[in-house]
Amino acid sequence: MGKRWKGLTIGAVAAMMLFQVGCGNGNSNGNGNGNAAGKNDSPAQTASGGGGKKVKLKFWDFHTEKEEEFFKGLVDEYNKTHDNVEIEYSTFNQADYTTTKLPTAFASGDGPDIYMISPGDFMKFAKSGLMADLNPYFPEGAKEDFLPASLDAVTVDGKVMALPFELELLGLYYNQDMLSNAGVEVPKTWDELYTAAKKLTTDKVAGLILPPDKGPYFNFIWYPFLWQQGGNVLNAEGTESTFNSPETAKALDFWGRFFREGISPTKLQQGPWEIDHLGKKTAAMQIVGTWAINRAEEVFGDVPINVAPLPLPDGGTAATDAGGWKFAVNAKSENADEAAKFIMWAFAEDPQRALEWCTQVKFAYSPRKSVVEQGKDIYSKGMRKVFTEQIYDSAIPEPRYPSEVLDVVGDAMQQVMFGKTDGTQAAKDADGKINEALKKINK
Amino acid sequence: MSRISARTRNEWITAYSFLLPNIIGLLIFVFIPILYAFYVSLHDWNALSPKVFSGLDNYKVLLKDDLWWASVRKTLLFSVIYVPLLYVLAIISALLMNALRGKVVGPVRTMFLMPFAITSVISAIIGMFMLDPRNGIINHLLGLAGIGHQQFLGSTAQAMPSIIGVILWINIGYNMIIFLSAMKEIPRDYYEAAYIDGAAGWQSFLSITFPLLKETSTFILIVTTIGSFQALDQILVMTKGGPANATEVSVLYVFKQGFELLNMGYASALAFVLFLIIFCLSIIQLKFLSLKK
Amino acid sequence: MKLNNRIVLPTVGILFGLLMIFPIYMLVISSLRSETDVFSFSLLPVQMQIGNFKAAWLDSGLPRTILNSLIVSITVTVVAMVFHAMSGYALARFRFPGKTYVFAWMLSTLMVPFAVIMIPLYLITKNLGLANSYAGLIIPSIFNAYGIFLFRQFYVTFPKELEEAGYMEGLSLSGTFFRLAFPLSVPIIVPLTIGFFLANWNAYLWPLIITQDEKLWVVQQQLAHLVGGGYYTPWNIVLAAAVIAAIPTFILFFVSQRYLVEGIKMSGIK
Repeated sequence: MGKRWKGLTIGAVAAMMLFQVGCGNGNSNGNGNGNAAGKNDSPAQTASGGGGKKVKLKFWDFHTEKEEEFFKGLVDEYNKTHDNVEIEYSTFNQADYTTTKLPTAFASGDGPDIYMISPGDFMKFAKSGLMADLNPYFPEGAKEDFLPASLDAVTVDGKVMALPFELELLGLYYNQDMLSNAGVEVPKTWDELYTAAKKLTTDKVAGLILPPDKGPYFNFIWYPFLWQQGGNVLNAEGTESTFNSPETAKALDFWGRFFREGISPTKLQQGPWEIDHLGKKTAAMQIVGTWAINRAEEVFGDVPINVAPLPLPDGGTAATDAGGWKFAVNAKSENADEAAKFIMWAFAEDPQRALEWCTQVKFAYSPRKSVVEQGKDIYSKGMRKVFTEQIYDSAIPEPRYPSEVLDVVGDAMQQVMFGKTDGTQAAKDADGKINEALKKINK
Repeated sequence: MSRISARTRNEWITAYSFLLPNIIGLLIFVFIPILYAFYVSLHDWNALSPKVFSGLDNYKVLLKDDLWWASVRKTLLFSVIYVPLLYVLAIISALLMNALRGKVVGPVRTMFLMPFAITSVISAIIGMFMLDPRNGIINHLLGLAGIGHQQFLGSTAQAMPSIIGVILWINIGYNMIIFLSAMKEIPRDYYEAAYIDGAAGWQSFLSITFPLLKETSTFILIVTTIGSFQALDQILVMTKGGPANATEVSVLYVFKQGFELLNMGYASALAFVLFLIIFCLSIIQLKFLSLKK
Repeated sequence: MKLNNRIVLPTVGILFGLLMIFPIYMLVISSLRSETDVFSFSLLPVQMQIGNFKAAWLDSGLPRTILNSLIVSITVTVVAMVFHAMSGYALARFRFPGKTYVFAWMLSTLMVPFAVIMIPLYLITKNLGLANSYAGLIIPSIFNAYGIFLFRQFYVTFPKELEEAGYMEGLSLSGTFFRLAFPLSVPIIVPLTIGFFLANWNAYLWPLIITQDEKLWVVQQQLAHLVGGGYYTPWNIVLAAAVIAAIPTFILFFVSQRYLVEGIKMSGIK
């Protein structure tokens, strides 16, 4: 009797599994993905490329909402106008995208053909042959349209490994009313920043919002404090650490002070990149980027938010960080060719698309001079004007350090923030570790 | 040599056929990946380029890795505080539930279980909101009681206890249910007999309930210990190992090495050492718990 | 003494219970607030933004992912329950060579963090042709030593008389299990059902790497997608989605309450 039971169970389970496999395979093979345009026009039309066979490209990124819709729109348009290519667009949660999804997929050879890369992860992928050289694909004259610095940031050994399409600059955002009510002027120097932030800090309001948690964004916001003094993490060739310097110590100490004295919260409920802190009036000042402008205007229009260039130390030069994601093609893909064409079509040809991205979908600067030129009007509206006229020229592209270096710098910052050591000691300790990491990487 | 009886042989076959699905499944989906991970630990690999054989290099490096051993210490600290707390709280709650009668039983039991129904990530997020130094409700309530604002997750000293608190909150109810199920198995007559003998309350617990819960206790202790070495989600969400590495436990360090720094080979070696630590601990626990009678 | 039981204990019970659900209350309250108010800590909702729930339900892929999660969780729970009960019983009641080794081996599979075996597991699953499918979500999730361990502990406490009773009724060894032992396992099956279901409902890492098609997403992926991590997170909608995502588990709890009641007295066997 028992045996029959057993047989039945196992049989049922096996049947269920087969059923699932059948269902599952149906799903994955049937292009059921609602993202791609998917309309198979008559295969007779072959605009370019092989005889009637469609090239399928996988495009993965992490965008949401308006940004996701923008890219969906691009993909749809491209699919419609290029019959030999079909692009499938999928999005994932940002944090998992870079740490889990991409590495796992690439590790098993299932990586996407088209993807996005940030400066923080750039070297990892560039060194593994996962980025195709885009030099041959630039349309006539397009390459010259790009700011040299933005292309340098993505060039390795003379090869352009990714296409930059946005520059997001940092500025000091503040609540005009809060400052006036406290009799505080917009800070222009480090000392003024400190005194102002301290004065503006109350039980309910933080004087200055800075990112407290380790990560690429954490470093991203801090670098200007180092650069303004002329300091840097690595030497120009990127082969040796220049971290052990008085400039570093000063930058670390200055940064850490805000946290130790309770001016900047050590824990935030919302991301430090969200302008909501100012919008909801829980903070008086915040260092954040150009992306915040649209949200400030649309959601927090009634709060008097304005922006100013980052304050300078005595004798320092203006410097701000320019971040932004880059568009990359998987060099190991069979269809790297077509993938590269798509990328170029999206952001290196008709300036209209780039302009839409940089001015409507979000607010950012384009690394292309023609686009900035075309969008002149937008770039002089409201807070954007401050960026265009006072901040743009001092932008330094976000460095593309290896993750280990990023990690060591982050640790140094945290050690000082939480009072474990002081700037000088932290800089010294980090220096050794950075050199160690560099040695290992360049073995 | 005595002949093996047909009955015994039948028992062997039945036993193995009962175990077969799990043996196969665990083999394919857990054990072989573990072997593969060990294989990877003998290489230098960043997941994106081909592997480079490096023998025991990774293991040599980890012996000197201060950050790694610091993480091991933090993990042990976490375990040593969390496991006993969970055990005691779960048993006490189960005792309480067991003694309740009437209409309260259902609702109270449900209330205890509810935290478990929320995803670990969401509970971590809720925990974060409530523990926020400036806007969190916990500080608000503390303020009403005259106690000053605490930094909780933003303080190197309080971060770990805060995380332990949140994880306890999530898991007490479920473990209570397991104890409760085991308690209900104990026949009423035992208690009645003891009562007649003059034992009641605390004594009956010590002499009847507790010993009869041995198997369940063993299970809970071992599984909770193993689990405490692997608590990743909540820590990732709440502190990412901070502030200043105060909550960087071993499994987080492994994850960081593997997926943020893409040192897959090294991460696998670390995971292997972690596995050995957990394994030895579990053996010790099992031995200790079987001896205790 | 009786007074103690009638008043003190229930009061204590309810107090602790309220303490336990307090954070959940905060979750629900916050999910009913507007975007700018989400974090205010007033204990009562100021406005009732049902719109959050509408948005969470209609504008995102939440319904589909809930369905997917249900399919996966239920299938895994049912199959695992049978397999694990069988294995636990064998480990507890049968004598056979290699028993300790099998048990130790199974236990040891619990000791490696998932993140470490993630990539090899993906490769294996892919090579079995199960990538990006329901089978890929379900099958690897079935095999977990936690259930085996718990069943074993449970069956160890059964009196020897069970097998003898089965033998006398002319049942085979497996018959004894399926007809006698398994039905008596309700006290442990109920919490385990809850545990398995929840573990699968909460699964995130594995579904993340094994699925590519948005149509296969499970609930946690959808929540993570809503959180985004881009430039801002609509917390009020995320929390509303989280509440909706927790409803099936709440339902499971209510339904299983009936069975969590009294354990089955072993004395009945005699």
